[in-house]
Amino acid sequence: MSMHIANGRWVVWLSFLVAMLFQIMPLPDLVEPWRPDWLLLVIIYWAMALPHRYNILSAWLLGVLLDIMLGAHLGIRALSISLVVYVVVLHFQRLRNFPMWQQALMISSLICLYHLVIFWVQFVVDTATFDVRLFLPAISCLIIWPWVFWILRRVRRLYKVR
Amino acid sequence: MKPIFARGISNQFRLTLAIILSVILIVANNRLDPVRKSVSSVLSPLQYVANVPGALLDWSAESLATRSMLTKQNKELLRQQLMMSERLQRFEHLRQENDRLRALLGSPVHMDSKKVVAEVMEVASDPYHQYVVLNHGAMSGVFVGQPVVDAQGVVGQVVQVNELTSRVLLISDATHGIPVRVTRNDVRLVVKGTGVLDELELSYVSKSTDIRVGDLLVSSGLGNRFPEGYPVARVMSVVKDDGQSYANVIAQPLAALDRIRYLLLIWPDEQEQSLKTDELSSTETPLESQKQNSEVSQ
Repeated sequence: MSMHIANGRWVVWLSFLVAMLFQIMPLPDLVEPWRPDWLLLVIIYWAMALPHRYNILSAWLLGVLLDIMLGAHLGIRALSISLVVYVVVLHFQRLRNFPMWQQALMISSLICLYHLVIFWVQFVVDTATFDVRLFLPAISCLIIWPWVFWILRRVRRLYKVR
Repeated sequence: MKPIFARGISNQFRLTLAIILSVILIVANNRLDPVRKSVSSVLSPLQYVANVPGALLDWSAESLATRSMLTKQNKELLRQQLMMSERLQRFEHLRQENDRLRALLGSPVHMDSKKVVAEVMEVASDPYHQYVVLNHGAMSGVFVGQPVVDAQGVVGQVVQVNELTSRVLLISDATHGIPVRVTRNDVRLVVKGTGVLDELELSYVSKSTDIRVGDLLVSSGLGNRFPEGYPVARVMSVVKDDGQSYANVIAQPLAALDRIRYLLLIWPDEQEQSLKTDELSSTETPLESQKQNSEVSQ
């Protein structure tokens, strides 16, 4: 068990904090619908890299915090993020070994799932009108994922996060 | 190689737990406001940090403004100020006259209410709702349900308050409704948001109601949330379709909801509020008045 002592926990939570900041940072109206889901990308990365440490329940907690930050109906993003992270944790080995473009495609389709679940729950509990622009973040995440992955891997190796 | 799931509970169990917890949160959403308030108070410094780049841009734009731009702006503001003060002189006279007349009628005199200028923080919000975040919170005395206006008209009401910031629901949100009255003939109506920023709809307008394109709608003060007399919207189209039981009326909000920067938070006067409720109970209900009105126009 001594092998499994957590290391660099603060690095991980700091990355979550930065992702949360990016998530609520103001963007021009033109770019706003393209806003990548920073927080979810970072959560996915850590769930993929250290699935025994950061997985569904920590993702759920971050989802609740995100709901509060956005002033949304509580629990919607928490539910959606936990579903996505479940898929990631289930297939983390396969995801890790994918070539980068394939990995990015998988992540992008997970982002689609994330937004669809949010829309569905929103539709059930409140009012919501379907808008195809819902899927724009999936495209921006497709482009941004390799960079997020690269940066976070460097951070992980630099601080020996385990 | 280290065992991956050597300890702990299975993923399926974790997912089930997360789903159950989420469903509990979704169902109990409205009862969790105290929790939400305390958590978002803790997190509100994040909002201030996220606001920094936008504020920095503003600041640089201000400090890089050229002299000619500033003098031009200054001239324009002076001109506006002159116009305003001229109107204000007349307004002051009218107000005194109105107060005297109200006193003669035995109606309560309108009090000046406390107002505070708040700045909109550039922070992203839930895309399914229309919110703005203000830089004033419970510390400045902001409360849930507080009316918010800008220079042109009613903007919305406060729905969430934490220590340092508060969240305002815009009148164009699909869940927002505000009681109004037509200035031309005092018909009372309810304006609802549609989810589109520059479009509001009037619900349950009978086809015989006297309402025209261009009518100004001001808050009626019924419902005891918004003070009376603030402009809300202007009627843009009235469609009376034979197949529908009500007229389809679309209005446009007067406040420029897409580019609000500075807003006024209003503290309605407590005394006035209680007097108004008394007044309300003695007058006819809005439904009766609508009926009467439709009879008149028939």
